Amino acid sequence: MSSESSKKRKPKVIRSDGAPAEGKRTRSDTEQEGKYYSEEAEVDLRDPGRDYELYKYTCQELQRLMAEIQDLKSRGGKDAAVEIEDRRIQSCVHFMTLKKLNRLAHIRLKKGRDQTHEAKQKVDAYHLQLQNLLYEVMHLQKEITKCLEFKSKHEEIDLVSLEEFYKEAPPDISKAEVTMGDPHQQTLARLDWELEQRKRLAEKYRECLSNKEKILKEIEVKKEYLSSLQPRLNSIMQASLPVQEYLFMPFDQAHKQYETARHLPPPLYVLFVQATAYGQACDDESDSDAEEEQTTKRRRPTLGVQLDDKRKEMLKRHPLSVLLDLKCKDDSVLHLTFYYLMNLNIMTVKARVTTATELITPISAGDLLSPDSVLSCLYPGDHGKKTPNPANQYQFDKVGILTLRDYVLDLGHPYLWVQKLGGLHFPKEQPQHTVITDHSLSASHMETTMKLLKTRVQSRLALHKQFASLEHGIVPVTSDCHYLFPAKVVSRLVKWVTIAHEDYTELHFTKDIVEAGLAGDTNLYYMALVERGTAKLQAAVVLNPGYSSIPPIFQLCLNWKGEKTNNNDDNIRAMESEVNVCYKELCGPRPGHQLLTNQLQRLCVLLDVYLETESHDDSVEGPKEFPQEKMCLRLFRGPSRIKPFKYNHPQGFFSHR
Amino acid sequence: MERAAQQAVPLGQMEVFQALQRLHMTIFSQSVSPCGKFLAAGNNYGQIAIFSLSAALSSEAKEESKKPMVTFQAHDGPVYSMVSTDRHLLSAGDGEVKAWLWAEILKKGCKELWRRQPPYRTSLEVPEINALLLVLKENLLILAGGDCQLHAMDLETGTFMWALRGHTDYIHCLALRERSPEVLSGGEDGAVRLWDLRTAKEVQTIEVYKHEECSRPHNGRWIGCLATDSDWMVCGGGPALTLWHLRSSTPTTVFPMRAPQKHVTFYQDLILSAGQGRCVNQWQLSGELKAQVPGSSPGLLSLSLNQQPAAPECKVLTAAGNSCRVDVFTNLGYRAFSLSF
Repeated sequence: MSSESSKKRKPKVIRSDGAPAEGKRTRSDTEQEGKYYSEEAEVDLRDPGRDYELYKYTCQELQRLMAEIQDLKSRGGKDAAVEIEDRRIQSCVHFMTLKKLNRLAHIRLKKGRDQTHEAKQKVDAYHLQLQNLLYEVMHLQKEITKCLEFKSKHEEIDLVSLEEFYKEAPPDISKAEVTMGDPHQQTLARLDWELEQRKRLAEKYRECLSNKEKILKEIEVKKEYLSSLQPRLNSIMQASLPVQEYLFMPFDQAHKQYETARHLPPPLYVLFVQATAYGQACDDESDSDAEEEQTTKRRRPTLGVQLDDKRKEMLKRHPLSVLLDLKCKDDSVLHLTFYYLMNLNIMTVKARVTTATELITPISAGDLLSPDSVLSCLYPGDHGKKTPNPANQYQFDKVGILTLRDYVLDLGHPYLWVQKLGGLHFPKEQPQHTVITDHSLSASHMETTMKLLKTRVQSRLALHKQFASLEHGIVPVTSDCHYLFPAKVVSRLVKWVTIAHEDYTELHFTKDIVEAGLAGDTNLYYMALVERGTAKLQAAVVLNPGYSSIPPIFQLCLNWKGEKTNNNDDNIRAMESEVNVCYKELCGPRPGHQLLTNQLQRLCVLLDVYLETESHDDSVEGPKEFPQEKMCLRLFRGPSRIKPFKYNHPQGFFSHR
Repeated sequence: MERAAQQAVPLGQMEVFQALQRLHMTIFSQSVSPCGKFLAAGNNYGQIAIFSLSAALSSEAKEESKKPMVTFQAHDGPVYSMVSTDRHLLSAGDGEVKAWLWAEILKKGCKELWRRQPPYRTSLEVPEINALLLVLKENLLILAGGDCQLHAMDLETGTFMWALRGHTDYIHCLALRERSPEVLSGGEDGAVRLWDLRTAKEVQTIEVYKHEECSRPHNGRWIGCLATDSDWMVCGGGPALTLWHLRSSTPTTVFPMRAPQKHVTFYQDLILSAGQGRCVNQWQLSGELKAQVPGSSPGLLSLSLNQQPAAPECKVLTAAGNSCRVDVFTNLGYRAFSLSF
């Protein structure tokens, strides 16, 4: 710095003295250097080993001098002070040497450190460079891989294969000479060709579309022409019908039926086939038709609309139904309409009876032919109020239907025999998902069921007629049953009415029948009143739907000199037994439709016997109310003292059983 | 059928007919086997059913134990009366008496050992036999019924030895007076007649209906039941149930029972009677009603006390009548259960 400042000053002042100035400067530098005692430079010159030896020597000398001083001090003496001073000076010199050596050591240390530091710095710098380079290498490698992986869109296009390309492409596109060698050019050429081809195909497509339009228009025209033809053909067919009838070939009608029948669901189809087969086999007049159903629904606005709709959905009927007409000998017809409930997989039936002549229904016969109950219990226990398919219970739970009973009036009755005729078989143990319709099941039940149906209709019609007479107080006994009864019967039937099931179970003299399980809700109940003089006999009648194979059951209550029922009078019990247990004699000629009227007539006869054979009470004055007119061998017999209720024909007397 | 109270079986023709038969069944007679373990019951259809009392009374009795072990058609008409000897069951109804071996009776297809018909006067109608009486000392069987006579049959030979006439209307019941020996018979004509067996003659007649204390004209005069305890006799039917002193022919106690009684018997110091009405009545000799135990039938026709020494565990009272059930009373206080046809 001082040299710089001197440089500045010197040229200003003494320009011409450049050389000497420089010389001065150098000299001053060297002087300065010479003046400046540089220990750094000295460090380089000296040998550290020798310095170490010098150190050790100096320390030894010091120790020696200290020892000598010690000696001299301890000895004392006059010379001692001079020697001590001498030695002290020598020691000081040694101390100086030590200091210098110390400084030199420090300087050496510092130098070493600096050098190390420098070297380290350099190494670090190289290291960093290396890192940078490595990083760049990696980066470049990644870029390279990316570039190599690059797929251009053109590779997604399925190009035609090379051979095809060269074959088909026109030379100005394929440019074989160029493209063979150069894959890039080749690909370009191929893409070119692809484009060309696509353009051509698009052109073709448009052409085809326009063609199609044209053809469709032509088809329309032809269709219209054909549809105008249809009514003309129909009229020809109609014209041919009389010819068909004339030739006894109702080809058309049967054909139409079979056509419609093809659309029937399987159970109805089975029924249709089996019923037609049976009808033909028996030469019977039973016609079966497949019919279209008119569905006219009224939407009721209710609160629970959703549930209601679901229920309707569940209970939906198939639109087609099979109509079966059973003709009986007396020209009455039983019309059966069979429906199929699709979701529940069961069949139902609605029944209707029409007679050759108009029937005037007596009041008590209201239920006999009603569609609801005319077919009830055709087979024992088959009341048709519960669904026969056990799987339906789960379906019902989902939509809140408790039982099918509420809907049978509308939907028809799901009797078990109806399911059998449709070939549906529901095993009681497990509900099955798919129940297959079985033709053999239907065939095996067809004949029995048809016979039962006919018997049912005929017995109901017979009852119908009988009821009309009973309501007028006349017991209609046919001529071939006259032998069962004596000629003169005095007791008369004065009343014949229906009673409700609940009323029957509440009567005090019917408890035994109710307890024995014979008075269910599928039966019909009636009350008859037989009178003679002051005696009134009430008879409660249970009419089983299976009449006349299952006999009506009578329970009696006699009001004459007190109330007598089977609880307190053995003879009333015997009378009931005569009518209920000995019914087989009263069946009359087959098919036994006279059973009820014969039972009623016998009841009148029994009342006559009872009243006339009552022993006269000697304590009471006056004649007997009912003089004995019946011929009896004995009046009483057995421990129970029963009256003679059995009528013997043709002798005409009464005896005991 | 959807009513829970009634049976769920669909009733076909057969089931309805059987149910009606059971409803109109009357059990007229009972008899206990010599071993004491079985009870025979005869009904109005002529069937006899054998029940096993030991099975029904045992602790493992199930419903089937209350049904008969075997039921067979014994007679064409009702079985009005049955008695048992030490080997045979004798049943009578429509004019014939048949014998069955107790040892064989439980086997299927059991046939009667023998059958006898007393010599009847009339041939128009076969009279019924209402009562059978065993006189073991003389080895006799006495039959009485519709023809108003008592017939005596020797059990060894099967021949009818004599017939006692005297009743003017058919005979309901018989009783044996051990000491003399005499037979008492009660009939529809309202008289109780005593017959000496050795001389075959009528020794005493009591016309019950003529005595004001017991006669009930509105019921009739017929004597339906008789029981005797040598000095005493109790009889009932149309007239009221009355206890008589035989030697003096006087009624000593009239039992206040309105319904006509059809069966009466002495038991220990009580008199048991049953008839129209559900109950078995127990009377003290003084005339007081000790107890009335209801049974299951609306009217009772026969009582049977099983006092066979061989089966003390089956010592029961059984009552049967206007139903298909036999009530079993293990102790006289209540009805334990019922056997049923």
